Amino acid sequence: MNIGELLSQYGGKYAIALLTTWKLTAVSFALALALGVLITAMRVSPIRPLRIIAGLYVQIFRNIPGVALLIFLVYALPYLNLIFSYQTCVLTATTLIPASFCSEYLMSGMNMIDKGQIEAARALGMRFTHVLRKVVIPQALRNSVLPLTNLLVATMLTTSLASQVPMNPMELTGLVSHINTHSVGGIMAFVISAALYCATAILIGQIGSLIDRKVRIVR
Amino acid sequence: MNSEHKSGAETPVIELRTVNKYFGTHHVLKDVSLSVRQGEVVVIIGPSGSGKSTLCRTINRLETISSGEILIEGQPMPAEGKELAQVRSRIGMVFQSFNLFLHRTILDNVTMAPMDVLHIKRKDAEEEALKLLRQVGIEDQARKVPAQLSGGQQQRAAIARALAMHPKAILFDEPTSALDPEMIQEVLDVMTSLAKSGMTMVIVTHEMNFARNVADRIIFMNDGAILEEGAPDEFFAHPKTERAREFLASFRNEQKESEL
Repeated sequence: MNIGELLSQYGGKYAIALLTTWKLTAVSFALALALGVLITAMRVSPIRPLRIIAGLYVQIFRNIPGVALLIFLVYALPYLNLIFSYQTCVLTATTLIPASFCSEYLMSGMNMIDKGQIEAARALGMRFTHVLRKVVIPQALRNSVLPLTNLLVATMLTTSLASQVPMNPMELTGLVSHINTHSVGGIMAFVISAALYCATAILIGQIGSLIDRKVRIVR
Repeated sequence: MNSEHKSGAETPVIELRTVNKYFGTHHVLKDVSLSVRQGEVVVIIGPSGSGKSTLCRTINRLETISSGEILIEGQPMPAEGKELAQVRSRIGMVFQSFNLFLHRTILDNVTMAPMDVLHIKRKDAEEEALKLLRQVGIEDQARKVPAQLSGGQQQRAAIARALAMHPKAILFDEPTSALDPEMIQEVLDVMTSLAKSGMTMVIVTHEMNFARNVADRIIFMNDGAILEEGAPDEFFAHPKTERAREFLASFRNEQKESEL
């Protein structure tokens, strides 16, 4: 099939698939960011067990392939009588893994904060959680806009994991598999999805730089 | 319990009893005892590496101590947690490198702790903050972020931030050492008027003229120990120890050189 035939036959489905990819990406990234902040707070907390748990979390989820995690969630958990919908399994995988990277970026963003500011906050009588919430996390986030932008793109690409399980509606990669099993879409079916991924990534990159310029901390 | 009467001898705001501190094997504070009365201005001077800053930082436990006792208004310094935070909130601190919160405006810098720690409403905290910023002469900078201010203005903002907590005492850890020469005086002027207003202050500084003018008492430290202490006129005119004489002489030479 050439591109015209593909678009006339599957144009609507591509549009839905793009929106589905966006939705999965947005939900995963929002959850990953929240979880990443939490994990990071645990990693710097004065309570040792929390530091150990958070450290383990990062080591585990940074180092396992997304597909392996998804297969585990979909095919292994039912043996433990834990059965989740395909969508939940996909979102879990596309959240847990980016959250570990998110925490790594926040840790390096945190290292850019001068220790003196933390001392000043403590000298003012602010307690650990306040120092974290008011001084450390906001600055770590603002120091990490560019890496987090890259993480958002990576999260989007990770949502292609959804193509490995039956999902309705399909996202961009799932749709390509669908087209190529039902008709012969050939390489062109991939090219369209790839173009849509690229366009989204470029958009994310632009917005990320814009935000970075706006919130970057002037020293 | 001893039979100390609260109504009798006034409880010192800050009291250190034979404080020792080691960094590894390095003995940085040696049997330091010091007591600061309400309203007193104590200036700590001494050569670099003599332990002045460390001493200053132990008072609100930014540095822990190895042995000895630190009492704030007669109460032992708590080791950690809510109690420590509570005591810290009553002792202000001004740092060499200002340490303002770089992501927030000057106004937010001053209101953050009063709102967070003392639970003062934003409106009241801002009103108070603007009053303090006026007092240190930078009211017009309130909406800027620290990086937009000169060093002298940043340090004055840091003083306003400390004052906003209505502290019982303020510790100054070399407050003018990071400043360009032309900005030193504006910070010293703010500190001088604070001293005159009756604020209890512990100041680590290399500004000898300032020390002489504002101090009620000079503490001379060398090699981790208090070598000499006394009224400024007495100390500067007749230092008792050889080490203090050398130290003061080196400053005089510096001054002469800069006058040439």
